[in-house]
Amino acid sequence: MTLLQLGNCVALAYSPLLIAYRRSSLSEYNAFWRCVQAGATYLFVQLCKMLFLATFFPTWDASVGVYDFVGEFMKSTVDLADLVGLHLVMSRNAGKGDYKIMVAAMGWATAELVMSRCIPLWVGARGIEFDWKYIQISFDSNISLIHYIAMAALVWMFSRYDLPKHYRLPVAALLGLSVYKAFLMESAINIFAVGSWTALLVKALVTGGVSLSTLLLYISLVHGTLLYISLVHGN
Amino acid sequence: MEIEPELLATETIVPVYFALEDDELLSIHEQTHSASVSQGTSSAAEVLLHTATANGFQMVTSGAQSKAISDWSITSLEGKLTGLGGEDLPTIVIVAHYDSFGVAPWLSYGADSNGSGVAALLELARLFSKLYTYKRTHAGYNIMFFVSGGGKFNYQGTKRWLEDNLDHTDSSLLQDNVAFVLCLDTLGGNDDGLYLHVSKPPKEATPQHAFLKELETVTSSRFPEVKFSMVHKKINLAEDMLAWEHERFGIRRLPAFTVSRLESHRNSLRTTIMDMRSQVDIQKLCRNTKIIAEALARVIYNLTEKGAPEDLQIFTEQMQLQEDQLSSVLDWLTAQPRAAQLVDKDSILISTLEYYMNRYLKDVKRHYVKADKRDPEFLFYDQLKQTMNAYRVKPAIFDLLLALCIAAYLGLTYLIAQNFGLFYNLVRRITLKQKQH
Repeated sequence: MTLLQLGNCVALAYSPLLIAYRRSSLSEYNAFWRCVQAGATYLFVQLCKMLFLATFFPTWDASVGVYDFVGEFMKSTVDLADLVGLHLVMSRNAGKGDYKIMVAAMGWATAELVMSRCIPLWVGARGIEFDWKYIQISFDSNISLIHYIAMAALVWMFSRYDLPKHYRLPVAALLGLSVYKAFLMESAINIFAVGSWTALLVKALVTGGVSLSTLLLYISLVHGTLLYISLVHGN
Repeated sequence: MEIEPELLATETIVPVYFALEDDELLSIHEQTHSASVSQGTSSAAEVLLHTATANGFQMVTSGAQSKAISDWSITSLEGKLTGLGGEDLPTIVIVAHYDSFGVAPWLSYGADSNGSGVAALLELARLFSKLYTYKRTHAGYNIMFFVSGGGKFNYQGTKRWLEDNLDHTDSSLLQDNVAFVLCLDTLGGNDDGLYLHVSKPPKEATPQHAFLKELETVTSSRFPEVKFSMVHKKINLAEDMLAWEHERFGIRRLPAFTVSRLESHRNSLRTTIMDMRSQVDIQKLCRNTKIIAEALARVIYNLTEKGAPEDLQIFTEQMQLQEDQLSSVLDWLTAQPRAAQLVDKDSILISTLEYYMNRYLKDVKRHYVKADKRDPEFLFYDQLKQTMNAYRVKPAIFDLLLALCIAAYLGLTYLIAQNFGLFYNLVRRITLKQKQH
């Protein structure tokens, strides 16, 4: 039942997106086209990253089996362009903070899902042979969704002009963590030689941790500031 | 080796594939075995779970239906060394068939039967051509060497060669004075028997008798561990297959015999895929070839009549039999399967054999045999080698189970998303409480 397996993977990958879209009431704001624009920005940013990588990072013949830490670290640094892209998307959308964050994150995650997960699933999950890795790919896309929401929130917070001083450090630290998350995951897999399900679990935990901290910071920023303003100017 | 003849004789509706055993095949076998065995011994729930999650295998082959090949040419090679002195010299013919046979053609390497025969023939060609280059040792016998194809299919190459030479041409060495025909078949195993198979016992004062006597002399005086004897078997035309290659010559009234280490032509060693290079003992092959070479030389140069001692060593020093040569020829022969269906006239095996024979022999010619159109003696099929892929598949129930689990997971995420607001407010209250303090 190969098409059934494909259906399973697709449902697993795409349904959280739909749920998030419906739940965050973005449909009230006619945000569909904005999301598509965010997706287009994602494509553009990926293209720039690829050109940059191809030009400035020659493929040197590293020995097989030895994980090239320095090289991969440099390559992950280029992922900073993701942050720039997210910032670009959000600055172009007028509206409340969480609306901007959600639009950017949804568009970004959808584009990433379509571009990087569609073809492996279509080619692989339809075959006769069953492999757990396709289910893992779909789970991974769920985790990426949460990750991008957290990343967008961090970028938004970072770019606010009225961000108090003592917030800058945690936000910057979390931003750095999210950018280098892929690199750290790969290094951990190579050092500890964990199985694929364990790696997925660790990834989920890390993303969960990052998003929880982001949520805390966001709430304290948004509602703390308002409270401060109302305290000062109000009663 | 006991199953093989039975398998060959059975008719099956489905194709049967043979493969070399390795770790992956063994693991597939283990998994299928354990999957089928456990159904009788555990509880119903376990069995249900097991059928839902078990690893099945689906084997897919890539080839097409097997078809008969039309116009297949079996190739044979002949070459000769001309004797010294005029016309009407007696001829000795040395024959060996090069093809192999087994239940799976691509796996039949035929190291002993008949790779050893061909290696011995080539070594004899080398030695006698060396002898014939010098005038002093150039004997008064023509020696013809014939490497025949289709041997395992009732000696088709030899049959057609004989017809062409005896019926269709005017002059051929085979038509005149043939002293005897010596066929070589399976000489290289790990035993000490040596048999001369004849269809009728040689009469006194004939070259055949002389050769038989010389073989006895050489083995008894220099190689006492070899048990040599003559085996007499009449040609039985009522049987489907002829026993040995010399019977083809016997039918055409040419005096012939076969030298082999096997006592019976029915020995399954002659038609098995288990006949691999590792089964051949090169030293024994070398010894047997030496016996034949010495006996031949004694006949050709008439040494016994001239009073040469019985244990005279002819092939020594520069004329030594080269064991390394035999070994490497056999290695080359067994490097590819040589079933008759696989060696066509453009094959590298034939061209290399032709090249090799050209180094030592003159008038090296190819001879082709095609099956008769209306009443074919042999019919070959293609698609003998396939690539088979084994896919690990799960039963259909498993996919449904997985779909149920995914639906449950999605339901859970939906609930979380619906109630995210509650979670949000909770966190807000906690952090703001902390801030106020």
